[in-house]
Amino acid sequence: MGVELFPRPHNLKSFTTSRSALNRTRILLRKIAWALFTILFVIVLNFFIFRVLPGDPARAGIRDPRLKAEAIEMLRVRFGLDKPVINCFESLNPVKLGSCNVNPLDTQFFIYVRNLLQGELGISYHTNRPVAEVLGERLWNTILLIGAGQILSIFIGVVFGVFAAWKARTSIDRAAVISSLVAWSLPTFWLGIILLFWGSKFGLPLAGKATPGASTYPLLQQWGDIARHMFLPTLTYTIIFMAEYTLIMRSSLMDVLSEDYILTAKAKGLSTFQILKDHALKNAMLPLVTVIAINLGFTVGGAVQIESVFSWPGLGLAIFEAVARRDFPILQGAFLLLAISVIFANLLADLTYTYLDPRVQTE
Amino acid sequence: MQSSTKITEPKNQWTARLLEFWRVFNKNRMGVIGLGMIGTLVIIAIFAPLIAPYDSSSTESAQIGDIYNPPSAAHLLGTDDAGQDILSNFIFGTRVSLIVGTFAAFISIIIGGTLGLIAGFNGGRTDNLIMRFTDIMLVIPDLPLIVVLVALTKPSLLNIIIVVGLLGWTTTARVVRSQTLAVKSRKFVLRARGIGAGNRHIISHHILPLVMPILVVQAVLVVSNAVLTESTLAFLGLGDPSALSWGQMLNYAFGRGAMSIGAWWALAVPGIGIVWVVLGLTLLGQGLEQVLNPRLETHHLTPGRPVVQNERDEFGSGKSADEKSGNILLDVQNLSVNYVADGRPPARAVENVSFTLKEGELMGLVGESGCGKTTLMLSLLRLLPSAGQIVNGKVFFKEKDLTALNEEELNIVRWSGISIIFQGAMNALNPVRTVGDQISEAIIRHLPDFPRDKRLDERVIELLDLVGIASDQKENFPHQYSGGMRQRAMIAMALACNPQVVIADEPTTALDVMIQAQILELLDDLRKKLGLAIIFVTHDLGVVAEICDKVLVMYGGVTAEYADVDTVYNEPRHPYTQELIKAFPDLTKPKKKLTSIPGYPPRLDALPAGCRFAPRCPAVFDRCHIEQPPLHKLGDMHFASCHLVEGSK
Amino acid sequence: MSDSNTLVEVKNLKKHFPVTRGIILQRKVGVVRAVDGISFSIQRGETLGMVGESGCGKTTAGRTMLGLYPATDGSVIIDGDDILHARGKDQLKIRRKAQIIFQDPYASLNPRWTVNSIVSEPMRVHKLFATEKERSERAKDLLGMVGLSPHLLNRFPHEFSGGQRQRIGIARALASDPLFIVCDEPISALDVSIQAQVVNLLEKLQDQLSLTYLFVAHDLSMVRHICDRVAVMYLGVIVEIAEQNELYENPLHPYTQALLSAVPVPDPRKERARKRTILVGDVPSPINPPSGCRFHPRCPVAIEKCKDIVPEWREVSPQHWVACHLVN
Repeated sequence: MGVELFPRPHNLKSFTTSRSALNRTRILLRKIAWALFTILFVIVLNFFIFRVLPGDPARAGIRDPRLKAEAIEMLRVRFGLDKPVINCFESLNPVKLGSCNVNPLDTQFFIYVRNLLQGELGISYHTNRPVAEVLGERLWNTILLIGAGQILSIFIGVVFGVFAAWKARTSIDRAAVISSLVAWSLPTFWLGIILLFWGSKFGLPLAGKATPGASTYPLLQQWGDIARHMFLPTLTYTIIFMAEYTLIMRSSLMDVLSEDYILTAKAKGLSTFQILKDHALKNAMLPLVTVIAINLGFTVGGAVQIESVFSWPGLGLAIFEAVARRDFPILQGAFLLLAISVIFANLLADLTYTYLDPRVQTE
Repeated sequence: MQSSTKITEPKNQWTARLLEFWRVFNKNRMGVIGLGMIGTLVIIAIFAPLIAPYDSSSTESAQIGDIYNPPSAAHLLGTDDAGQDILSNFIFGTRVSLIVGTFAAFISIIIGGTLGLIAGFNGGRTDNLIMRFTDIMLVIPDLPLIVVLVALTKPSLLNIIIVVGLLGWTTTARVVRSQTLAVKSRKFVLRARGIGAGNRHIISHHILPLVMPILVVQAVLVVSNAVLTESTLAFLGLGDPSALSWGQMLNYAFGRGAMSIGAWWALAVPGIGIVWVVLGLTLLGQGLEQVLNPRLETHHLTPGRPVVQNERDEFGSGKSADEKSGNILLDVQNLSVNYVADGRPPARAVENVSFTLKEGELMGLVGESGCGKTTLMLSLLRLLPSAGQIVNGKVFFKEKDLTALNEEELNIVRWSGISIIFQGAMNALNPVRTVGDQISEAIIRHLPDFPRDKRLDERVIELLDLVGIASDQKENFPHQYSGGMRQRAMIAMALACNPQVVIADEPTTALDVMIQAQILELLDDLRKKLGLAIIFVTHDLGVVAEICDKVLVMYGGVTAEYADVDTVYNEPRHPYTQELIKAFPDLTKPKKKLTSIPGYPPRLDALPAGCRFAPRCPAVFDRCHIEQPPLHKLGDMHFASCHLVEGSK
Repeated sequence: MSDSNTLVEVKNLKKHFPVTRGIILQRKVGVVRAVDGISFSIQRGETLGMVGESGCGKTTAGRTMLGLYPATDGSVIIDGDDILHARGKDQLKIRRKAQIIFQDPYASLNPRWTVNSIVSEPMRVHKLFATEKERSERAKDLLGMVGLSPHLLNRFPHEFSGGQRQRIGIARALASDPLFIVCDEPISALDVSIQAQVVNLLEKLQDQLSLTYLFVAHDLSMVRHICDRVAVMYLGVIVEIAEQNELYENPLHPYTQALLSAVPVPDPRKERARKRTILVGDVPSPINPPSGCRFHPRCPVAIEKCKDIVPEWREVSPQHWVACHLVN
């Protein structure tokens, strides 16, 4: 793969070398611009999904049969649902040009974006509290869970992967590969259920982030309490993702160790440990960074499942509950927050890769 | 690989291909196990009504007391929250999972395959747009999006299939695009265009057949993802209540108190089903991937094989008579190297090769591909791949036998005593470390007393200067160097620890003639200046004539001829050497008719009995087919292994 | 050069590759002038050699001549027909007459096709022979012509050695009865003894079938052996062209002289006696070729004029053309 489409003379690259530092800034700016564009795309997507799919948003969102017709109409006005969706399009029915005299500033879309920029995400149908407030509390819990899980799984995955590759074809390697394959095949929520089942027998907490009333404990004990609650969810997360990272690290390192420069290093008289440390690891980590970045979308999916099983009060649980209650503003807000977080994390991973791989800097 | 002399036409190319595929696939245990696992499930799904003890969703025994009954004779896997038989529900659940998985995957593959093909084939703006779109879809977290979409529409099996299908195409698109791009720029496609073939011909005859296998592997992975996603959706309450999938079973169990009652069977069984499907598909996918892109399971750090001595010394040593005069640095005696293969006789890559190397001497090692010259060079420093093994002989470097050293002791000799310039420096330097860094690494390793300050940098600059590379290039990476510069950097690195012997393994083969001339002049210069002894491996007889003092000609793993350079060119005695010279064009003799040597070099695991050159030798006679000729001494510095020269001088 | 005897006429052929940048929309920021205006002709039955270092554009030239890359400018007339500007059925007809053989025998054959499919592809594309059976028969004949057994028709490329695969490539090139074949470094990837086999085969086929060759290579010794005339390319232009004997015995352009002096000769006595001109540095980038004579930065005998004025392409003796200010 990657066959060159036309012959490039060897000097082409040195022609642009002198601009290496300028290039790096340029690449940085390009990537940030792209991330912003993606966020814009998600915002538009988010808006349209929630306005278009349920048909009449009012009817879909407010299914409470006890509400009388006037009450429904009032709610419609209150949520701005009586305004045209977007310039000249009434619920996506194109109006003939010429008869379009709608003020673009008065459309639902514009109102939505304006609110968004002010940090206003709507009002929960269920609790009548502002969405931003509800989710704000939860965002950090999710980040805590995913953060801890990712760090652990990356660390363990790298260590296992390196060992497996180093001792390729031995029983250590086979054991690592088989257990990783099995772990990877486990549905995240099911693993959570099983661990919860076992955990309950050992007196571990069954749900939530903290024991009720824990806020009155001294700080250290509070943290200990949170840690006990975090143990099983984090364990679930770690087992699933560590499996994938082990396999990726293993195959990546095996590829690297088959490269010619490793033979050169061996011919130089460097010990196996030195070769691994100074030549192989950095090169093998690069594909892993890419995979971690691509995976970020999937890790959020894992968070949704884990939080649902363990009732961990994060954005994932918010989605789960919002689905059950058909609370669309919460659903919409949670999705948006998750998507933006992932895009941001992806950008970080991408920039890390650019920093690590010198080949990218001189294009 | 040569075609065998017995030619049997396969009846049908498709049967032949299928058999070949199965033979390779069978070797991978994981793949076969995966296939078995999925096969079992498919059978269960098809024959579900016959296998299941109770009808689907049967409430035959649904009385209050039958809820969450543990496994018993009547219900082998217990009952669930509605009193239904878990085993039966499990069996029917197979159908739901497989149907959702397959159809959703089908949609994803079609979308992904088409997009990938269009993007890869058209290139340019279309490619850019499609890939940007794919990137966005990849970044957006998929499960939340799927949850949102299914929540907003009615949760039915059809909707789930559509939504999962519509969002699962991203990886497939990327993979198909890469492959399409790769195939599109292959020579045979270029050629097809050249003869006037249209897009339709190229896509249907060239690109699709090479993309299909990748698509099949992708399909397997997409199915497993779809099954997982459906179970997750069902568990989260978005499943189709009328289709009891495994995820749905778990949703009921978890939500209706199986945990508090301790009904582990209701929680374990459906989950195991999901794991079985996903694991089976993953293993199958791995197996297929192995057939497509066979991976080597060994690498350069895999421990090597121990040196053995088989005492096969019948052919006499090649020690030259002048061993007492001059300074012999390297003395290789009767070196033999095999490549071990499972279940097959080993390939005898090098057999009984001997030579010596004095200070300041430049020896050319000549031979064609498969003659064993690279193997011979690698074996001197024990850098053979894991299948390689030294099975006889000694390598004396300054009186010390390298074959008797362990890895640690050998590491001291490597580079500081003998160093290597590898063929094709394209990848012989680490692409993520600066060139200067890699050179100083060698110095630090072998000269621990060398000061680590500015003087180290100066030494590196001095070495680069020696090979004509400007000092500001020290901080650059290998990919910023041109091909010739990289090779010169390798030379600088090889000299960093002041070795006595340098092995240059085809260092100029991939380079232009002018750069080659530069490098040859450089090597000759260094030899005179530093008193280096050099072994120059090549197949270019012109290069050998230009700089070598003596020549070792190898064929089929043995020494054909070993003599000083004038003798080899003017009085070659081995028929192979003679034919080789006749087949090589001479710039100054355009009228010379190029004779070719009929046939092909022998396969090292299927060597002919007797002399290895016999099948192609113009002077062959009976004895050549039976007895392998020993190395005869023809003069002070002239050896040839041929029956014809026996007894002469 | 009488017109009826000229099979291939190339006039001012140019091929530029764009260099682009950008994320969503790509814009052109420069061009790689791989081939920057070359003109020459080839007579029927002749073998013209094209030599030069990597990056000089000889490979691109050969491929552009056959329309494998769309030309940026210029014309290529083969047997009276303009191959670059023809369309539709005419283009198909012209393409029958010109074929190409590639360097890498491992990559130039589709690994999933049988030898039969590979060799008969041109027949299928040009719709020669109505039935599959006829095509297979012709394929067998072609295999025989290149010295391979006709029994090997249903085998796959990976079952053959490098030399045999190259023969398959040659058989494929002969399938449409061409007049002209571009040999794009056909032997560089082969062993010495096999190179001689393939070269001898090419010469034999040329006699048998009255073929005309363009032989693109970097092995100057082999080029002298097989070619009638030789063209030397540097950075996208031709700097010298002459009959083989004349070029090698009496090279006029400083680049040609340097090139020839760098070629090692398999004769130790001659080698030791030789005087060489070894140029410093590497070939500059074809994105920004030097002004005036492109060779002037590396030329050992360059004068002031060479920096500013492009040297004229002149015939200094019969059939010997050079572009250099110092050659009068």
